[in-house]
Amino acid sequence: MALPVLICDDSSFARKQMKRALPEGWDIEVTFATNGLEGLEAIRQGKGEVVFLDLTMPEMDGYGVLENIRKEDLNAMIIVVSGDIQPDAQARVKSLGAMAFVKKPIDKEKATQILTEFGILSDT
Amino acid sequence: MSVEISEDQRDCYQEITNVAMGQAADRLARLLNVYVILPIPKINIISATELHMALEGANTSDDVSAVCQGFIGSGIAGEALLIFNDASFEDLAKLMKYEGPLDHHGELELLMDVSSVLIGACLHGIAEQLELHFNQGHPVVLGQHCHIDDLVKSGNHQWTQTLAIEIHYEIENLNINCDLLLLFTEDSVAKINQQVDYLLD
Repeated sequence: MALPVLICDDSSFARKQMKRALPEGWDIEVTFATNGLEGLEAIRQGKGEVVFLDLTMPEMDGYGVLENIRKEDLNAMIIVVSGDIQPDAQARVKSLGAMAFVKKPIDKEKATQILTEFGILSDT
Repeated sequence: MSVEISEDQRDCYQEITNVAMGQAADRLARLLNVYVILPIPKINIISATELHMALEGANTSDDVSAVCQGFIGSGIAGEALLIFNDASFEDLAKLMKYEGPLDHHGELELLMDVSSVLIGACLHGIAEQLELHFNQGHPVVLGQHCHIDDLVKSGNHQWTQTLAIEIHYEIENLNINCDLLLLFTEDSVAKINQQVDYLLD
C-alpha cells in the first residue's frame, strides 16, 4: 500500500519544491496542506504517516502542529523543513518530538539522505 | 514602464526571502547567542511616493539610524536599506560586549557590524537561490538619530515604481528591532522575475 505523505507549507512554491525533491519511484500518496490547521486535520485522517512540515505558517504554525500531535498522541513521523535554521528553532522542534530538521531550500539529495537515515526509504 | 509581479511570483519571492532571512538570522543568532523572531516578509511593487509609507510602516519609532548598501550583478541592481530603531543600541551594545562609550561613534560601529551581517547574508541567500551573483558596494550611513522623513527626503530616487522586499527583524526578549528593505531598480525587475520563473517552471 502507498505510504501517506503530507506536505504542509503555506507557500505553493515551497510545496512544489518539496514534492519535486521526493525520490522517484517511491510508492507514496501525497497530500498537501496550506497551513497548520489543515495539516493537523490531514494527519488525524491518516494522510500523514510521514510529514514534511514548515514552521512559519498562518492559522497554526509548525510548533503548534507538533504540540497538537503530541497532545493527541497521533502517529506521524515529522520532518521539519524550515527557513528558520537558528539553533533555538532546531532545539525547539526536536524537543516537541520532530524526528528531523532539514534546512530550506530542500533538494532531492537532502530529502533522500534524511529518508534513508531514518529508514523510511528502504533500498528495495 | 509598468512593473508587475504575478501571485505565483510573489509567493516565490516570499519563500526565497524567507529562506534568505532565515540564513541571516541564523548568523546573527549564533553571533549574539539570541533567538531572532522572523515574521513573514512583505513583497510589494511600490512607487517612489509610497516608499515613504513603506518605511513608516516598517518602523514607527521616532529616531532611527540607517545604512544603505548598493548591490549589482547578473544584470540586476538595487539597494539594501537597513533601518535601526535607535532604542535598540543599548541592548545591542550589551550583546556585542561593546566596551567603549556608547556615543555617536560607538553606535556607528554597532550599526555597521550588524548591517554587514544582515545585509550580506540576506543578499547572498537570495542570489544563491536565484542562481545569481551580487557584488556589494561600500555601506553608506544615511543618517543617525534622525526621523524617517529625513531619510526619505535625502534619497534621490531615479525610479517611479519598483519591487520592494521588506523584512522585519526582532530579537526575542530584548528591545532590538530593525527593518531591512531591498529595493531593486526598475530595469532589474524583468530580469529577476525571469529567474523566479525558472524556479517556478
